[in-house]
Amino acid sequence: MDDAIGRYPPDQKRSASLPLLHLWQEHFGFISDDAVLWIAAKLGLQPINILELVTFYPMLRQRPAGKTHIRVCRTLSCAMAGSYQLMENLCAATEIQRNGGPEGIHNSISVSPDGNYSVEFVECLASCGTAPVCLINETLRENVDPYSIVDLLRDQTSNVTHQTSPHPLERRLVFKNVGRKDWKIDIETYVRDGGYEDLRKAVTMSREQIVNEVKTSGLRGRGGAGFSCGLKWSFIKPDEKRPVYLICNADESEPGTFKDRYIIHEDPHQLLEGIAISCFALNAHTAYIYIRGEFPEGATVLERAIEEARAHNFLGKNILDSGFDVEVYIHRGAGAYICGEETGLIESLEGKRGYPRIKPPFFPAVLGLYLCPTIVNNVETLCHVKHVIAMGGAEYARIGRPNNTGTRIVCVSGDVQRPGYFEIEVGAVTMGQLIYEMAGGLKAGRMLKAVIPGGSSAKVLRATERFKIKDRQSDGPTIERDLTIDQLPMDFDSLAAAGSMAGSGGVIVLDDSRDMVWALNNINEFYAHESCGQCTPCREGSLWMKKITERMLRGGGVTEDPHTLKTIGDNIAGRTICAFGEACAWPTQSFVEKFPEEFAARANKPVPPPLPPEYTPEELIEEQQIPTAPLAHDPGWEKAGAAGTI
Amino acid sequence: MPDEPVPLFTVQIDGVWHQFPKGTRVIEACAQAGIFVPRYCYHKKLSSPGNCRMCLVEMGMPRLGPDRKPELGADGKPMINWMPRPQISCAQEVSEGMGVRTNSPLVKECQRGVMEFLLINHPLDCPICDQAGECELQEFSVEYGAADSRFLENKVKKPKAVQLGPRVTLDDERCILCSRCIRFCQEIVHDDVLGFVDRGSHTVLTAHPGKRLENNYSLNTVDICPVGALTSTDFRFKMRVWFLKETKSICTSCATGCNTIIGTREDVVYRQTPRENDHVNSCWMCDHGRLNLDYITSERRLLEPRVLLGDKLDSSDWNAAIERAALQLRHFPGWETAMIASARLTNEELWLTAQLARALGVDLIDIVPRSGPGDDILLSEDRNPNTNGARLLGITSEPGARLGEIAQAVKSGRVKALLALHENPIETGITAEELSNLPAFIVIDILENAVTEKATAVLPGFAFVEKRGSMINGKGRLQRLNRAIRGPGNARDDWEILRDLLQALGGSNGLYSIDDVFRQMSDAVPEFSGLTLSKIGDLGVQVLRARGALSPLAEAKETAVPPS
Repeated sequence: MDDAIGRYPPDQKRSASLPLLHLWQEHFGFISDDAVLWIAAKLGLQPINILELVTFYPMLRQRPAGKTHIRVCRTLSCAMAGSYQLMENLCAATEIQRNGGPEGIHNSISVSPDGNYSVEFVECLASCGTAPVCLINETLRENVDPYSIVDLLRDQTSNVTHQTSPHPLERRLVFKNVGRKDWKIDIETYVRDGGYEDLRKAVTMSREQIVNEVKTSGLRGRGGAGFSCGLKWSFIKPDEKRPVYLICNADESEPGTFKDRYIIHEDPHQLLEGIAISCFALNAHTAYIYIRGEFPEGATVLERAIEEARAHNFLGKNILDSGFDVEVYIHRGAGAYICGEETGLIESLEGKRGYPRIKPPFFPAVLGLYLCPTIVNNVETLCHVKHVIAMGGAEYARIGRPNNTGTRIVCVSGDVQRPGYFEIEVGAVTMGQLIYEMAGGLKAGRMLKAVIPGGSSAKVLRATERFKIKDRQSDGPTIERDLTIDQLPMDFDSLAAAGSMAGSGGVIVLDDSRDMVWALNNINEFYAHESCGQCTPCREGSLWMKKITERMLRGGGVTEDPHTLKTIGDNIAGRTICAFGEACAWPTQSFVEKFPEEFAARANKPVPPPLPPEYTPEELIEEQQIPTAPLAHDPGWEKAGAAGTI
Repeated sequence: MPDEPVPLFTVQIDGVWHQFPKGTRVIEACAQAGIFVPRYCYHKKLSSPGNCRMCLVEMGMPRLGPDRKPELGADGKPMINWMPRPQISCAQEVSEGMGVRTNSPLVKECQRGVMEFLLINHPLDCPICDQAGECELQEFSVEYGAADSRFLENKVKKPKAVQLGPRVTLDDERCILCSRCIRFCQEIVHDDVLGFVDRGSHTVLTAHPGKRLENNYSLNTVDICPVGALTSTDFRFKMRVWFLKETKSICTSCATGCNTIIGTREDVVYRQTPRENDHVNSCWMCDHGRLNLDYITSERRLLEPRVLLGDKLDSSDWNAAIERAALQLRHFPGWETAMIASARLTNEELWLTAQLARALGVDLIDIVPRSGPGDDILLSEDRNPNTNGARLLGITSEPGARLGEIAQAVKSGRVKALLALHENPIETGITAEELSNLPAFIVIDILENAVTEKATAVLPGFAFVEKRGSMINGKGRLQRLNRAIRGPGNARDDWEILRDLLQALGGSNGLYSIDDVFRQMSDAVPEFSGLTLSKIGDLGVQVLRARGALSPLAEAKETAVPPS
């Protein structure tokens, strides 16, 4: 535990709250009341500070689970692949009665009568390409057959598989080593393959040179917003007096996205090299990798890789005799999508609830971690930094299209034959090539209905839509093209022009067997569950939208519902502290707008069905002890002296 | 020391250009321009979390030309590039050339949207909610919300009637999660006791069961709660707030003299709440002072003057009582008389007490000091509200220094007449037996106690909520008490009792109202010169140099941005 505390500055012990809670839960199985008091005392905090965390992060539980705890992913791609059926069969096989818990935002944990098993629905486990998936204790199980529960429970080892040979349309840079036959993740293999040479090169360069190379490369963030990485870096003043922090955002949680998982699992040193180079460029002596709690194996892999890199002096004091010190620490999340938002992540790293901060004034580059300048970059982005240094910014910028440079990993899941990850030159592949050639096309006899192109928060594209894209030629003139969905180039600007976004690169494909109200309800449930609850529109709106789509699914849709849904979305988007507002509003806005006939068909009742009573008769009769003090004393003008009291 | 000049920024608000000092938050700039921007989470004394989204406005920055200088419009003022998204006005500070729109269609739509979101899960229990009538959810709903609800679902259920601590009751369903109470405890009281648990729409405010909300400032959370979530366990269900008459006054439970509003109905005090005065108490007051009201309605209140007739203390009318008391006093020369006055009396009462002492030739006079542990927030170690008044008006130079002498003189029998004003002589070391042996022992007080029975005359006075007058707090600020209720029974305002005693001893003195007393006092006391009770105003006047007894009020930083 002291080791965990030592990873944070001495005056920031609060940051160790989550690590200590993880350690406690690993050892004792759950977070007891005593744990809350003990950890608070250990860190010099108030008990409420710890209780706030235990109840915010769903991976922390306050009651024991079964000996084997199974977390089943219920988010869109897994749900489409049968995870609800999996849960049902799992409960039947283990005699678990679900839905016993009180109404609450967190999916409840149900334990089997013998205490051997417990199940829990969780949100996206970031393995949508191998849906359905579940975590059995700490081990991820992929491509689970909902009808082979016995096999699932018997064989509890990991069965992660990788595509071994890249598709001809791919251009692998970051994923060069993923799935390679002779590839091992130890540092010897990595160094033998030319690893850490780019770090060696970088420490001979000046900081400005590196930042300029990154600027020249045109590298845009791969986390979702697509912000220019070089521009972000240039917000750090070269003569900054306060410590600068680099945070690697490995909280990959956007439904449909599962790229960072494979970088971490298959090529951890590439990430560490990218981090070391970036730290050097930013003069950051400490980097934290905020890895989501649902990646326990990834955290172990990275811990080992950090040890190896330290032993080889790629990290630690005076790296490669450059005089530069850098330490990299792992910080595990505990099941909160909002901690992928950079300021929510920073709050979480500071040991608080993952409440995003207001900007202004809390721009991370100015007032970030511990109110020091901080750069938060996605895993994939940091890996690209290594390649920018390797080939030079100008050379890197030649890959892809203007303003959409480099390669990026696109994750395809949903109703395709071969879901998975593909590293493509940005813009060099169209949506049609991606779906029909790389991902093997739709299932037999099915037609494309819709595509969510950049993680579940991206606006949905309807298969029959036409898109007007302004295409700037490299020699100057702009031509407007009228494209079908199949012709859409997979790059930042084209998808933005199509009214959606490239986001985190998670492409979810829906075929004509899908009910769009059902799909939206699944997405709404995700966002209602993941809303941090800090600011009003998102907190209230996300749950409201979910309640409406749920009622529509149950057959209680009224004619106003589609309009209500859309206006709720309008009232959230752009009015919240962080981009979660858009993330939860865009699906609803776009689903309702683009599939009006499906929503109208489910919203045909003139009046809503009667609601179950909010309070049971017992609750209503239950008497409260209302203090009844003697009311309005007579001031006693008339009776003065008679009673002697007032 | 002259303040350094603060640069002024020109800011356009709703089409009109104003100037504001650098560092002014936009929401305050709007307020200064006479435009109220609705808000829930924002409180000017606390940090800005920006979570309620009620204060969204449109903002813009000056359009910059190629020379990076603002482009000027036809009116010579900077042209503004409006941001497409609404911005919160509570966290941002004004900047040169900024534009703000507070009533555009977009802003109104935002306000309507936020109101709808806040109300969908809020219970419709206004008829039984204590906050009704002073509820910002009600007020803004009327002002900025829509009349009908589109919400067809069940509301989220949360805990009700949670005892957060001994004095504060929480209804989580009413809570709009603005976090004002959490920030108050963290930033003002430094007692991190409240927090949010669970997530999303199911988030609830709570305290850890092992550490409750029981600090001495807990009831301020009730004041700043914009809705009916936090209610005072003491005031809960007692009175609808719109029936309350509000009287501006000050708290008299310690030398700080927190400014208050006394809420009364039909001569009953229902609650006391802090009134903002940045010279004294900011927006806060302590629970100790706030709830120190029970004695006003105590069964031990003295309701009638009583005088010793034969060997029996008997009820009397005021004329007879004053006459008897004066007679008893006149019977002894000044050197055989002592007076125990109180620093709980107002300046006017102390002034008349001093006159009485002079009229009787009394030299042995003092007040009873009263102290307790203070804190560095508001509570003063000096638990008397007007020690400075007693000093200034010559009742004492060192509070309590002469009490021993008085006790000794009573014991030795040198003092034969004792006048006790709002103090119990037992507490000064005089025994009950010695008191009963005194030939003249006159008590002016509000509560009956063991010694009132030993008195030769008992003259019932008023409690602080029943009188008008002034006091000087520990920092030397002259402040005004106002009468919130009438006194009980046949009790009388203390200044009248003293005036009548003076008249009975020395003829007419031309004092017909409390204002006359103050006028007389201000003619004689240089510190009060030029002042009247009215001129003191609601916020008081600094009349003495601070004696350094109190440290400055701990206040949250004005901005959310820490110094870099």
